[in-house]
Amino acid sequence: MMDTPQVLFKNRHVDRIATRDEYEAGGGYEALKRVLAEEARDEVQAAIKEALLLGRGGAAFPMGIKLSTVAEDAPFPRYLVCNADEMEPGTFKDRVLLHTDPHQLIEGMVLAAFAIQAAKGIVFIRPEYENAARILEREVALARKAGYLGEKILGSEFSFDIDVHRSGGRYICGEVTAQLNALMGRRPNPQQPPPYPTESGLWGQPTVLQNVETLCCVPHIVRNGATWFKGLALTEAGAGTKIFPVSGRVNRPGCYELPMGIRLSAIIEEHAGGMLPGSEFKACLPGGASTRFLTREHYDIPMDFASLKEAGHRLGTGAIMVFDHKTCMVAATLNLMEFFTRESCGWCTPCREGLPYIRDMLRRIENGRGEEGFIPILEQMSRQLWNAYCAFAPGAVSPLESLLTFFGDEVREHISARKCPFGNAPGGPSDNR
Amino acid sequence: MTIGLNAMPKLTIDNRSVEVPPGTKVIAAAEQLGIQIPHFCYHPALGAVGACRVCAVKVLEGSVKGIQMSCMLEARDGMVVSTTDADAVAFRQSVIEWLMLNHPHDCPVCDEGGHCLLQDMTVSGGHGLRRYRGNKRTHRDQYLGPLVQHEMNRCIQCYRCVRYYREFTGYDDLGVMGIGSRVYYGRFEEGVLASPFAGNLIDICPTGVYTDKPSRFKGRRWDFERTPSLCIHCSLGCHMTVSARYREVVRHEARFNPVVNGHFICDRGRFAYPYASSPERPREAQIDGRPVAGQLAVTTAAERLATVAGQHQPAAVAVAGSARCSLETLAVLVRICQEAGWRGPVCFEERRTARAVSTAVGCLTSTLAFSLQAIAAADSVLLAGVDPLHEAPMLALALRQARRKGAVIVVADPRPVNLPFDFQHLPLASAQIGPWLDRLAGDIPESDMPSAAIARRLRESERPVIVAGTDVLSTAAVVQAADLAAALGANGKSAGLCYALPGANAFGAALLAKNPDSLEQVVEAIENGQVKALILVESDLCQRFPDQARLERALAQLDLLVVLDYTASPAVAAAHVFLPTATVYEAGGLFINNEGRVQQALVAMRGGTPISQIGQGDHPPRAFRKDIPGAGPRPAGDLLGDLAAAVIGAPDASEAPSPLAGLAESHPTLAALTAASIPPEGRLVLADDPGRRVLPSADEPNTHAADTGEGLELIWTDRIFGSEPLAALAPALQERQEGDTLFMARGDAAAWELADGDRVVIGPEASPWELAVRVVDNMAAGTIVLPRLPGWQRCGLTRNRVQRDAIRKRS
Repeated sequence: MMDTPQVLFKNRHVDRIATRDEYEAGGGYEALKRVLAEEARDEVQAAIKEALLLGRGGAAFPMGIKLSTVAEDAPFPRYLVCNADEMEPGTFKDRVLLHTDPHQLIEGMVLAAFAIQAAKGIVFIRPEYENAARILEREVALARKAGYLGEKILGSEFSFDIDVHRSGGRYICGEVTAQLNALMGRRPNPQQPPPYPTESGLWGQPTVLQNVETLCCVPHIVRNGATWFKGLALTEAGAGTKIFPVSGRVNRPGCYELPMGIRLSAIIEEHAGGMLPGSEFKACLPGGASTRFLTREHYDIPMDFASLKEAGHRLGTGAIMVFDHKTCMVAATLNLMEFFTRESCGWCTPCREGLPYIRDMLRRIENGRGEEGFIPILEQMSRQLWNAYCAFAPGAVSPLESLLTFFGDEVREHISARKCPFGNAPGGPSDNR
Repeated sequence: MTIGLNAMPKLTIDNRSVEVPPGTKVIAAAEQLGIQIPHFCYHPALGAVGACRVCAVKVLEGSVKGIQMSCMLEARDGMVVSTTDADAVAFRQSVIEWLMLNHPHDCPVCDEGGHCLLQDMTVSGGHGLRRYRGNKRTHRDQYLGPLVQHEMNRCIQCYRCVRYYREFTGYDDLGVMGIGSRVYYGRFEEGVLASPFAGNLIDICPTGVYTDKPSRFKGRRWDFERTPSLCIHCSLGCHMTVSARYREVVRHEARFNPVVNGHFICDRGRFAYPYASSPERPREAQIDGRPVAGQLAVTTAAERLATVAGQHQPAAVAVAGSARCSLETLAVLVRICQEAGWRGPVCFEERRTARAVSTAVGCLTSTLAFSLQAIAAADSVLLAGVDPLHEAPMLALALRQARRKGAVIVVADPRPVNLPFDFQHLPLASAQIGPWLDRLAGDIPESDMPSAAIARRLRESERPVIVAGTDVLSTAAVVQAADLAAALGANGKSAGLCYALPGANAFGAALLAKNPDSLEQVVEAIENGQVKALILVESDLCQRFPDQARLERALAQLDLLVVLDYTASPAVAAAHVFLPTATVYEAGGLFINNEGRVQQALVAMRGGTPISQIGQGDHPPRAFRKDIPGAGPRPAGDLLGDLAAAVIGAPDASEAPSPLAGLAESHPTLAALTAASIPPEGRLVLADDPGRRVLPSADEPNTHAADTGEGLELIWTDRIFGSEPLAALAPALQERQEGDTLFMARGDAAAWELADGDRVVIGPEASPWELAVRVVDNMAAGTIVLPRLPGWQRCGLTRNRVQRDAIRKRS
């Protein structure tokens, strides 16, 4: 099963973190040394752009384009923020990356910072990832000692350093503008552009924010070239590898680095060890909690951003949650809705009030107190929540909307039978929490 | 199609086209067409944040299409927008339904009912049937002080309150806590809201989360007589709406005025009204302490005044008005003095104040005078001898808006000035400020820091403003402030000048009084026997006279004291003849604010003792009688007109000239003034040309009286709550009054062996005044600052300097 090229997981060990020596032995920091020596700032940006490196945090925005929106004459200081606030349910790739090869991220950050001439990098990390935060702090200190960070890196004119910032711990802090607000000590409400963070981000200065996995790809792209990176993918539209965290009703749940564009069926059957004995594939969430359910119809779909988009889905974070034929999809959706209702930041009305409304109806349906009249209301609201302030609510209603599209019969069965056909007992909380 | 950057975008909204300035949001463009798009979080003063989502419209043509929030969307050329599109209407309906999920159905007992934006939107949006089956989320309310009532369950999370409170007013003790549908607006702990502008939360909250606590349950919006009026509790003349019911003023609300106060007012203005319906308010005329009919009191007063004038000379009768008298009252006062040969009228308590105010009025020209809204757009402000938060509160809020837009603000003041924004404070002694202003206006060496940097910034800014006070500045410094503003404006810049004046009509009083005389001189004249009779009209002068013992001795020396007033002031008790007057609510009137703007307060109610005070607790209050009890008070101008007729033998009341006609005679700039000629935003009565100032600057400007000698210079300072005599009568505002505090600079305190927090006593043993010592670094050395809080005039500190032995440490 490990016959696919391992790039980000090259130094992955079951029981320990890769050391700096080990990272260097595998070619680590070579790209940085060369680029700094050659002052090849433009090359870094061009390579990332050409490699079609798409943001791995869920939004799939091309990193090269983002870097180029920091204007040449933009003011200093500029900031680079690494988003390690991994809170999307089912997603645990960034944690594994941080525990596997931290210097890969450090080098990626220095290279990205060099490309935009940022003086300061901040890793915004989820408080539950305290171990990873300590690992990073330790390894950042080591990198500084080795001259990879700090004043005049490796004797060049470029200076850059990294701080590790622990989040207060809410899902919305993963949103770019909310994260920047949180870093500034403000209430982490999202803020609609303009201005874009690359123009006016942290304390009004140009700021680029990237996900851990995206930044980890950078040293490899700069070292091996864009063509090599694109060649890693199995599809024309894809580029590079992708870390797929797989959970649910499979034999070997875990985190797998696989070529972009690999078929979903191959991930489940060849790498995750297939469905549990006695389980049949019913559906999965292909990219975390805020994506639509993918059904049997798309079992063989190539897992890259473009292919899923074409099919009306989203690759998101690439976190695959597998549901079997014994899983109640209403219960699964309700579970997600409990999360989103709790985590809404409360800024705009559709998200703050619409989600509890939806959750209430789903609870009633799951508990056998649903009514036929709920369905048109649910349909209307899953559409209307797209007009919320930020992308949180559209993400939150994605599972619901696909539940109604693909599992409408299952929902109606709950209503007509006045109980959950999968035998789930009524219950659960009924307040506004 | 390409358009120039400055071209006016032309767009179509509901099939009607409109052209708007670039940068206009669609919601504002629609308003120009008279199309009201529903909104909660959007407020013109706070801007758009796109939180409530109820202003959704559908964009049919444009760079973005579909459902969009009209508050966030900039109007672009060629844009086609529909507010009536079915999707937009359905979405707005859903927003209302969502907002009503948790909103209680307590409209019948909610004070906001009847003027509630959510109520309006719920009804007009057609959301009449509750579909949501879940429970309503509930919160615990907080005690927020005596002015604002908190009812969090009614909250629809529009964020207006915290945006207003934190961003607009600059206070941070009210905020948002929690996330999701548990979002909570309040303080970290229960307690009194710190902002003196907190009352505006009542106006901007679109539902009933924040309601007016003193006027709770007094009635519904439609029960009230609602009248446009003015605030008379400082010199800014903010616009308000007065609500009256059952012969009682029950509520003030801010009234939008684009040049003066904008959308807001301060808490002193909002809650100051109880004096008008105080049970202690004297409503009956009195002769020698005995109640009599009003007409008898007038004729008796006239007879006795004629006797005094006959026994001595007409100038033995002195007249004192005040800076809170309406222009109509002042006009009659001036006329009566002229025609009868009486002395006065004086409108200020001290010589120094009278001179400073007259000078300030003389210095303002129509090019230099800046309104509050112009100050909010300034890019550099220098404040000299003025403490805005306490002397003219809304000025502090206007300055904060300038600061938010990037203006640099410098304060030169001996006092520990506190403002809700960051500023540079130069704690200069009061006598130093004038010469320092002169230095700024001239060539200043670069080595003279920070003054050189301040001068350069003022010169380099496009809209510099000089704000000065008349309380601690010498007359000379008042002129120097104007000279600096004029110098800044000389090179084509739009430079501004603003004075904080002592009283709602201080400008009018200074304009009408021919010479800057004061009560101080009248007291001197009583003491040396020149004045034998005194008429006091709505006079705060006595209350603000720094030496009460001396004043009382002087009043006791008089042959005749005639008092016209509407509060139970000590002078009323001492009067030989008392005539009750009507308040601004019953009489209306014209007032000239600190900018030189004549504005009008309309008559808000007929008067009479409030029904709540004559009923027997019945509900609804009914009192079946033929007369209106307590309707004795009459407008001071009318009473004085009668008095004048009786004394001078002028034509009877029906043929007497109207007060406004008298006004025209009083001063040429007021010649064309009629009540009808004053537009809602008021009218400036300033000359355009600096050479033709409305009032000549007082000659021989005096220096500040107290610059040398033993001890420390004493500075009396106003406090927002407690110093203004009318507002100080409001029970709710008395709760907001801060403890009596004495301020000293660190070095002076050490020399006098006083420490921060020490309790000290000033004044006679019989009536001691206890204060807490605050030792601070941000005030001028050699100075002691004392608050004009109730009792201050009796502490015996009558000189300009304080000696160590005047302050006794309390063990």
